[in-house]
Amino acid sequence: MAETTITTTAGTHAAQYGEDAVVAAATTRGEPDWLRDQRAEAARAFGALPMPTPQLRPWKYTDVTALAIDGYAPVTDAGWMRVQGGTPARGFAGTIADAIADADHGERVRTHLGSMVRATEGKFIAANAALWRTGAFVYVPRGQAFATPVTVTLEAPAEAGRALFPRVLIVAEPASEVTVVLRNHSGDADLLVSAVVEIIAGDDTNVRLVLDGRWGDATREFTTVRSRLGRAAHVQTASLAIGGALVKQTVEGLLEGEGSTSSIRGAALGGREQHFDFVTLQDHIGPKTESDVEIKAALAGASKSIYYGITRVEETAAGAAANQVNRNLLLSGHAKADSDPVLEILTSDVIRCGHGATVGPVDEEALFYLQSRGLDRREALQLLVAGFFRSVLKDVNVPGLEDELEAAVMAKLATAEL
Amino acid sequence: MSEPILELRDLKVSITDQRDTQIIKGVDLKIGRGEVHALMGPNGSGKSTLATTIAGSPSYTVDSGQVIFKGEDITALKADARARMGLFLSFQYPTVIPGVTMVNLLRAAMKARTGTDLPPREFLVQLRATLETLKMDESFARRYVNDGFSGGEKKRAEILQLGMLKPDLAILDETDSGLDVDALRTVAEGVNALRTPEIGVLIITHYQRILNYITPDFVHVLVAGRIVRSGGPELALQIEENGYDPILQELGIAEEAVTA
Ligand SMILES: Nc1ncnc2c1ncn2[C@@H]1O[C@H](COP(=O)(O)OP(=O)(O)O)[C@@H](O)[C@H]1O
Ligand SMILES: [Mg+2]
Repeated sequence: MAETTITTTAGTHAAQYGEDAVVAAATTRGEPDWLRDQRAEAARAFGALPMPTPQLRPWKYTDVTALAIDGYAPVTDAGWMRVQGGTPARGFAGTIADAIADADHGERVRTHLGSMVRATEGKFIAANAALWRTGAFVYVPRGQAFATPVTVTLEAPAEAGRALFPRVLIVAEPASEVTVVLRNHSGDADLLVSAVVEIIAGDDTNVRLVLDGRWGDATREFTTVRSRLGRAAHVQTASLAIGGALVKQTVEGLLEGEGSTSSIRGAALGGREQHFDFVTLQDHIGPKTESDVEIKAALAGASKSIYYGITRVEETAAGAAANQVNRNLLLSGHAKADSDPVLEILTSDVIRCGHGATVGPVDEEALFYLQSRGLDRREALQLLVAGFFRSVLKDVNVPGLEDELEAAVMAKLATAEL
Repeated sequence: MSEPILELRDLKVSITDQRDTQIIKGVDLKIGRGEVHALMGPNGSGKSTLATTIAGSPSYTVDSGQVIFKGEDITALKADARARMGLFLSFQYPTVIPGVTMVNLLRAAMKARTGTDLPPREFLVQLRATLETLKMDESFARRYVNDGFSGGEKKRAEILQLGMLKPDLAILDETDSGLDVDALRTVAEGVNALRTPEIGVLIITHYQRILNYITPDFVHVLVAGRIVRSGGPELALQIEENGYDPILQELGIAEEAVTA
């Protein structure tokens, strides 16, 4: 399993994670006081917080107690993240550093950065808050829409033993619309990634986030995505995890505004000894809110997928509707999945609330049907898995990307141990 | 007669998970190129078992005997190899393939069959022509395979694949059941459009209805895993009129013994 492959010595780069170094680096970069203070607080939290242990439910099947975050050297140069997008008037899509250089955008970053995901919440998040180097800031003004999706591309460095801390802040003013795609690439080196994405979706907004995870074989990713939804806001997250040694993503929607809807879709295609761990939270706070979770894993080789999700309908969320589904397709006899969708309903006034989980092998009848059309077993499985992922892929909704991801799925299955 | 397209030699078949349950108990059959054979028989007599065994279903195991296709013994071949050789089964109960469109399926199947990826434009031309023959709307091709299809749509989807794949042997397992007269005629026209002096057709049916549109050269009656009678088109008419009882009585088997 992934944790046994850890070779780094604990704390080799601990100095760089300390408050002094973090503050010094921020000062050298000329960051404003508020940001330097934020980082200092985060560095202190990092030092004080323990690593999560399997005693904590979201970490039950992903044991990181042997992993030392500060055994990885934080990447300090700024070039590995690029932000591109057809920005509307008064809007912004670029690095946080550039945003801060502007008075208006700088003020927005200051208001919102760290407001959704607090540095003190956990060890990985604290490391990110202290050490993120290049962040992306996306801002859509009231009533505006981005002409094209904003693409945030992460090109990880080739050297092993590096830690990346991607940070993304999306602020959508009322009645605006934006799609943000996070594209991840890395080589074969042993890398650690701790990412934080914060989404503030105002009233009547439409925000889409796509996580295109095509890390190299030895990258370990820990990501937290949290969005807050205003009245009638729609937030949709679609994550496709193909690469990486270990991918743990926590995606949360706080449905505060009346009539807001949050959709979380995830697809993981495992091979080798890959380890995926999805955690979701849909927290219905406002009335008539709707949420939808669909996490799918297709697992070849000795890969593994874990899902733990809570859909909570608070007392205040009268008339809410929720659906939560986790499906696991075992493509080999060695693959494993664990599924735990949880509903917590605190009001008697719900429209509908469903949840389901399945873990099982491929439908032999479907396999025979395709084979009877001339497809060999592998080709048939490729088609079945692409079909299985369709519900997630079609929500990607970015021109060309759906086909590209499907091709990546096919390519991986062309050689995976089935 | 030239070399038959399909030949079954004393074929005995049991259920893979229940090897002591033999369903097909010694079937001999020869289908020549250009011929249409009808296989009839009461429910449960083994028609679908025979059809899917010919197609290579792993659910059934050949205990003894051979399946010869285009002169080659394919008894040990996997389903996909048989299909690539030109064998096609229209399923009695086609399977739902979630998230895979008819176009996805057809492209993959045609690529497997021909070994080359047809240029999208050519594929589209063929697809449109075939859809038109079958009086099917183009939107049909963008739907997920058999997902939410009505009974009639499923059967037409099978014939659409048949029309695109142009096999050398087509086995139609109760493709006629559940179709209204118009749909039946369309499906029959689709099959007829495919007929050449080179290909063989095996139509499995309960009813003589479809045989009004596709005239068989031979009719066989399968009872309890054995072909108990073979004849010309008149045999189908007799069955239509009198049912299977006279045949069964003549053989000294009671109906219950057959369907039980
Ligand atoms: N996979 C199977 N498992 C158990 N019984 C089967 C299976 N396949 C066929 N049978 C049995 O074999 C007999 C023949 O079935 P089938 O070939 O479907 O008949 P037909 O198509 O003529 O109606 C029936 O009694 C059926 O129940
Ligand atoms: Mg049948």
